[in-house]
Amino acid sequence: MHATVAVTPKKHVVTTTKTVQGSQGQADRWGTVQVTLTVKKTTTTVGRKKTVKRTITKVAVPVYPNHTDRSVFINQQAIPLLVQEELQAQFNISQLQVIGGATDTSYAFGQSLQAALLAAKKL
Amino acid sequence: MGMPIVVEVRGDDAPFDEVFDWFRWVDATFSTYRPESEISRVARGEPPVSPEAREILERCDQLRAQTNGYFDAYAGGTLDPSGLVKGWAVDRAADLLDAAGVHEYVVNAGGDMRVRGTWRVGIQHPRERDAVAAVVEATDLALATSGEYARGRHVLDPHTGAPPLGVLSATISGPDLATADAYATAALAMGASIAPHWVARLRGYGALLILDDERVLSTPSFGCAPR
Repeated sequence: MHATVAVTPKKHVVTTTKTVQGSQGQADRWGTVQVTLTVKKTTTTVGRKKTVKRTITKVAVPVYPNHTDRSVFINQQAIPLLVQEELQAQFNISQLQVIGGATDTSYAFGQSLQAALLAAKKL
Repeated sequence: MGMPIVVEVRGDDAPFDEVFDWFRWVDATFSTYRPESEISRVARGEPPVSPEAREILERCDQLRAQTNGYFDAYAGGTLDPSGLVKGWAVDRAADLLDAAGVHEYVVNAGGDMRVRGTWRVGIQHPRERDAVAAVVEATDLALATSGEYARGRHVLDPHTGAPPLGVLSATISGPDLATADAYATAALAMGASIAPHWVARLRGYGALLILDDERVLSTPSFGCAPR
């Protein structure tokens, strides 16, 4: 007779957090930049199987170029500076005085909003 | 240049003849459709003769660098600086009107313009022919738009030779139309993955991008008068 005994391997989890600092680099002509990463390392041991997972939890820039207006400006995150809206179509152009971006060619001009506007003004 | 140019003034008398003589000279000198024009001769390898042609070639090089190669007068294989010449010609026409003391005017060349005074400008909707997508209260401003809607896909990514994806139209505002026009062409060529990042970092110029997922992205300074 054999009895089957289920043996659950013991699970062992070790988490460490480490901060690593890159060397100072030259960002083109704008100055010196340095990046620090905080990395969380999770080591999971189940029986003989060991899994290591690393996650970047924080990115910091302790040294960045800010000696000119230009470099301060490019330090700012670019995308959050943009205003986002949904595309709208406005068909009533009577309040407008000029149309831009409309017509590259003479052919298209005859049917363009700018032509319609000029016709309305009787120019 | 094969495009309609509209000069409109309020009140003041204006040197219209001088302005249109200037545009005719520009067309004769820079038309890539005329084999005998100076720019056609330069494209065939002859050295530029006029100071204007030298200036245009120099600015093409500068703008190519400023746009990381996305504005490229050689993108189609041969020299074609038309994208810069149009805006530059309008800037010079605006100088003529300023010098003549005209206080309120629009010089609109194929949808790209310089305005003096305050004008309510509609920006053509990229998908609806009879509609505008945005309205700009423009004061003393250059506004240039590059889009796919006017001539089909005429802008290519000079790095891949393929049409870019994702940006239906790019409008740039700022002090100088030649620069604004080159930036608009570059933003369109960059496509939706690069253009928003690039325009957010422009200095002195604002941007309005219409993406093909119907998002409209604009920088805070878009449409504001240059400082």
